[in-house]
Amino acid sequence: MRVAKNITGHLNKTTSIAPLVVFRVLFGFIMLVSIVRFAAKGWIKSLYIDPQYYFTFYGFEWVKPLGPTGMYVVFALMGVAALMIMLGYKYRVAIVLFFLSFTYVELIDKTNYLNHYYFVSIISFLMIFLPAHRSFSLDVWLNPGMAVSRVPGWTIAVIRLQLAIVYLYAGAAKLNPDWLLEAMPLKIWLPANAHLPLIGPLLQYSATAYVFSWFGALYDLTVVFFLSYNRTRPFAYLAVVVFHLCTALLFQIGMFPYIMILATLIFFPARFHEKFIAALTGWWHKMVPGTPNNQVRPARDFNLNPKYAILVGAILVLHFTIQLLLPLRSKLYPGDLFWTEQGYRFSWRVMLMEKAGYAIFHVKDRKTNRQWEVQNWKFLTSNQEKMMATQPDMILQFAHYLQQHYRDQGLNDLQITVASYVTLNGKRSRLLIDPATDLTSIRDGFSHKDWVLPMNRSPKTATLYHPL
Amino acid sequence: MNIKYLQYIAICIGLTVVVFSCSSGDDDTGGQTPPEFDRAAMLANYADNLILPAYSDLQVEVDQMAADATAFESEPTAANLETLQNALKSVRLSWQDANFYQFGPAETVTLRASLNTYPTDTDKIESNIENGGYTLGSIDNIAAGGLPALDYLIHGAEVTTEQIIAAFTTDPGASERMTYLVDNVAFVKSRVDDVVNSWDPAGDDYRGTFLSEGNGGTGVGSSISLLVNAMILHYERFMRDGKIGIPAGVRSAGVPRPTATEAFYGGYSAELAVANITGYKRLVIGGSGSGLDDYLEFMESDELSNDIQDGLDQSINDAGQLTDPLSENIENDNDGVIAVFTSLQEVLVLIKVDMTSVLGITITFQDNDGD
Repeated sequence: MRVAKNITGHLNKTTSIAPLVVFRVLFGFIMLVSIVRFAAKGWIKSLYIDPQYYFTFYGFEWVKPLGPTGMYVVFALMGVAALMIMLGYKYRVAIVLFFLSFTYVELIDKTNYLNHYYFVSIISFLMIFLPAHRSFSLDVWLNPGMAVSRVPGWTIAVIRLQLAIVYLYAGAAKLNPDWLLEAMPLKIWLPANAHLPLIGPLLQYSATAYVFSWFGALYDLTVVFFLSYNRTRPFAYLAVVVFHLCTALLFQIGMFPYIMILATLIFFPARFHEKFIAALTGWWHKMVPGTPNNQVRPARDFNLNPKYAILVGAILVLHFTIQLLLPLRSKLYPGDLFWTEQGYRFSWRVMLMEKAGYAIFHVKDRKTNRQWEVQNWKFLTSNQEKMMATQPDMILQFAHYLQQHYRDQGLNDLQITVASYVTLNGKRSRLLIDPATDLTSIRDGFSHKDWVLPMNRSPKTATLYHPL
Repeated sequence: MNIKYLQYIAICIGLTVVVFSCSSGDDDTGGQTPPEFDRAAMLANYADNLILPAYSDLQVEVDQMAADATAFESEPTAANLETLQNALKSVRLSWQDANFYQFGPAETVTLRASLNTYPTDTDKIESNIENGGYTLGSIDNIAAGGLPALDYLIHGAEVTTEQIIAAFTTDPGASERMTYLVDNVAFVKSRVDDVVNSWDPAGDDYRGTFLSEGNGGTGVGSSISLLVNAMILHYERFMRDGKIGIPAGVRSAGVPRPTATEAFYGGYSAELAVANITGYKRLVIGGSGSGLDDYLEFMESDELSNDIQDGLDQSINDAGQLTDPLSENIENDNDGVIAVFTSLQEVLVLIKVDMTSVLGITITFQDNDGD
């Protein structure tokens, strides 16, 4: 009871709003940058307009892209929302809009699933409930009455907790034999960067891969603790910067390193964030002389309207219960997780495996006994084909799409099988799916996919293409 | 102790840790010869000993064909026709070594689609001859130009040598037909010349771009990524499917399409297929220099490297069992043709999946116009 009381006391103890506000500004900023970058790379078109088929998530088949105009509008809204979050303008509307538009886009096609997109979705979800706009925002500037200077501890703790979950699960996932004992997949990924100046030559040594692997696991498992204590924080944050900049340099992982470098600032004490705000304010006054300074007011505490307190509390408890349990669901399935990927997504398994595949779909018309192979590229983008080839649920989805495609052409008694060759962490490719399984007879779901061959008992090749 | 001082210490310690972890990496293998693979040397070997010679051989053959076409134009004799037919075959054989590099200059001038889109559109060719006013290389003429169109023009569909010559001399529209032939040869020559000039260090020097340090990585757009993606795309769509799978009916709901063979009118498609697979093996092993096989062996994948080479040898051998004209082989014994398809398929998995994974190269190619 005493512990529980301590925790509740800690969560309700008021603290400076500064860390929360700085987090809001930086989050809005980095999201705006990410969205502009995404658009500039032409990915709105290539990922959400060009494909003729989208791999929806199980249970979210109703999520559809909105066509060229619609998708550009969605991304424009998302960008505007990010800007509004940064500026703290109509914050509640902006954060809800951002969460919905971002999550909608992520749900369109699981081909594009990335852990850090998931991270952005849930952080923006949590931020809906946080008073992150009650200081240093346009909302406060326009309506000084809503300004507060102190918030209950839980508003900052939820973000720290979410970050802790991400790092700890990511670290725990690295505690596997391939990562620790074989230094895989870094042994493959690092030498690919051997052309880099200075560190390049080092990356060819397998010892370097071991150092990186062990350091990476240690980093993920400990960084949150070291960030939490005053004495270790500067070193821990330096490690954050070095670690994530290293990953940015070595791997094609986009904005993730920068998001984490900014997000982890939430572990710094209020004083740090107050200085940051003061610096920004000073800079603003220098740039725009004569702006009235209405930020000076007596300290005031934020208190959640008791009407909502229970609701918000319940949502947060539920959220974190799910967060804690969801990554563990893979334990419910037999077989090698990396191979079957049952319960792989939404579990902070980041950069853990080098997996590649090639799926050859065989179609047989039972009426005429004719058979042929599908040219996947006629239906899928190269990115979709690549992602599909290693993930059983996507292979099944595509088989069903093919079934529908041929049914539309009048072929309604088909057998569709797949020879899917997959290599995992540099091991020789093997068949992922039982090549004898007629995928048209399989339904998707959360139950164990027994048509996925166990990795160690899977044959190397299948001769499926019988002469006509 | 102020913040600045703390930060300074933190940075010092951080850098020490980084340097330490790097140097400890050194110590572990300090006694051994440092493992090294010189990717730049491998790329230079590809550029100087495979790509440039392949293009320049192609250019020599195309120039010869252009000369022979001029001779046939001024003296349309049976002997000159045969010379031209042989010249076309030489061009098509040398194309089998030059067709792997559809990136950079070749991509800019859409070399593959321009030179080798088949089956050729005979209706379009005839209507172009009749109506004139065509632009070879335009999108609507992509299947009415290049080597397969020449194949149709100078071999014809089941006609005698006399009939072919008559079509160019005495038949109605003969001079227009001769013009189309000459235009087409000039079109092929201009595309090949463009690509050769673009690679030429004395020209646009794409060779320099290809070998530049900035393109030395393995990421998207790096030279090795361009090369490997181009060679895999070629294997899938143009070697396995184009030469074997599509004519054998693997892509057309099981219905064979013998007229879709590469040299349907000249009747030496199987020979071209063997040449292409042979060239492919040379590409994988980097000729007699440093190649992808060596890179694989550096990555401790000797077995994979051997299996790829053995598999390609097997495919060369299997394709060698095919008989020309391949279209007849398909009609009489399609099982044998499908056996070659299957054999090619097995190696493709090793190259596209295992090799790229071990080498850390991302498969990125976008959809492309096909031949």
